[in-house]
Amino acid sequence: MNDDSTPLDDEAFGWALRMEGPDADWDAFTLWLEHDASRSERYDRAVAALHDFTADVAALSPVTVPASDLIAANDDMPARRYTRRWIGGALAAVLAGAIGLGVWTETPRPYAVETAPGEQRIVALADGSSIVLAGGSKVRLDHNAPRVAMVERGEMLFRIRHDAAHPFAVGVGDLTLVDLGTVFDVKTDAQRTRVSVAEGAVMIDPDGAALPLDPGQAVVAEGDSLRRLAVEPGDVGAWQEGRLAFDGVPLDEVAADLSRQLGQPVRAAPAVARRTFRGTLDVQALKRRPALLGQLLDVTVRQDADGWTLEPHP
Amino acid sequence: MANRDKLVRFLLARGAGDAAEDLAHDVWLKVAGRADGPIGNPLAYLYRAADTLMIDRYRARRQAEARDQAWSDRHAQEQPAADRSVAARQEAGEVAALLTTLGSRREAVFRRVRIDGAAQREVAAELGVSLSTVESDLRIASRALADLKERLR
Repeated sequence: MNDDSTPLDDEAFGWALRMEGPDADWDAFTLWLEHDASRSERYDRAVAALHDFTADVAALSPVTVPASDLIAANDDMPARRYTRRWIGGALAAVLAGAIGLGVWTETPRPYAVETAPGEQRIVALADGSSIVLAGGSKVRLDHNAPRVAMVERGEMLFRIRHDAAHPFAVGVGDLTLVDLGTVFDVKTDAQRTRVSVAEGAVMIDPDGAALPLDPGQAVVAEGDSLRRLAVEPGDVGAWQEGRLAFDGVPLDEVAADLSRQLGQPVRAAPAVARRTFRGTLDVQALKRRPALLGQLLDVTVRQDADGWTLEPHP
Repeated sequence: MANRDKLVRFLLARGAGDAAEDLAHDVWLKVAGRADGPIGNPLAYLYRAADTLMIDRYRARRQAEARDQAWSDRHAQEQPAADRSVAARQEAGEVAALLTTLGSRREAVFRRVRIDGAAQREVAAELGVSLSTVESDLRIASRALADLKERLR
């Protein structure tokens, strides 16, 4: 089939646009098709093209980004803004691509996987990919859209079987990311979302900032800024083995991680919440000796019925 | 049944060939088996389902061809991730630039109809233009986008 070389025709496009509408005239369409056996394929091509570039446009923000911004996104560490409106469109487009046009054959079959604090669970996906959920985490999935995941809360490690034709898309808060063959970790809470790559590559906000992340890179989305930073690839997802590695991470985030991993609430008092910590915590050791935490984080750990609170030294 | 014959005729016209009878049967069963099945116009629903089925088959065929092509082409190595992301970015930039050239009304028409799924009549009323203007805006925008995609391929 060498139909790629023939140009798309207006006539077929007209039909593709008309037949989508609610008052499509199927009899007239049948007659048009029967006139010439090649028309059906011309129509198919027009529909496919229409579908493709509609997804492209849907993925773009109505506010067009200057080309200079797109180039800047490739430089290191530009704290840049991104538009929230991109995200819905981008993910909708990915979903539309995953489900295809077969709306009536493939109705969404959503399901969710959730873990209690202190628990870990592995979700095996139909395509051989897997997601490891840390404690206190939740992901939404769909049996009929197996290449899409929505991270609701907590932290999880994705091991994605790469398929260039069907990129795996992850939605987390206002952010979308697409795998380019990959092991990566996604963590989200009310304040910020962090994506770290161990292997392969990930593209963040593919239709907006389009920030590529290579192994050893991470991005932090906070408010509407994106910040890129370096991580140790071996540390990505180390929580699976009970090791929590931090490199300049605010204590409120450290506390949130500990809550999930220890299975009991840990909070950072406002006075220390923005203080950063660099180092590795061993979950098992902390379970045995909670006092260790205060020494490591250089705070006072107050224990009461509500859990642990990290406070400044008196 | 008359509807069944119409469906077979349509599937033949859509290039189903020998499979037309079987496909019509499948479509029939699937649509009939749906709990939230059609109430208003069952024939239009059947046509739509049959058309969607053929569109899916076309897409599947194209994907298989693309895979074979990549397989037989010894030089078709995986593009490095960085190149792919640059290409994707450039393409997004070109699409955005094209929308700007088309003008804001055509862009708005395209978005409202194709992405929001608004009825063309509704969009015409919103923008205070005639239905035929909306139709032609849609055609022109689609055509321009299709040409751009062809060029980028």
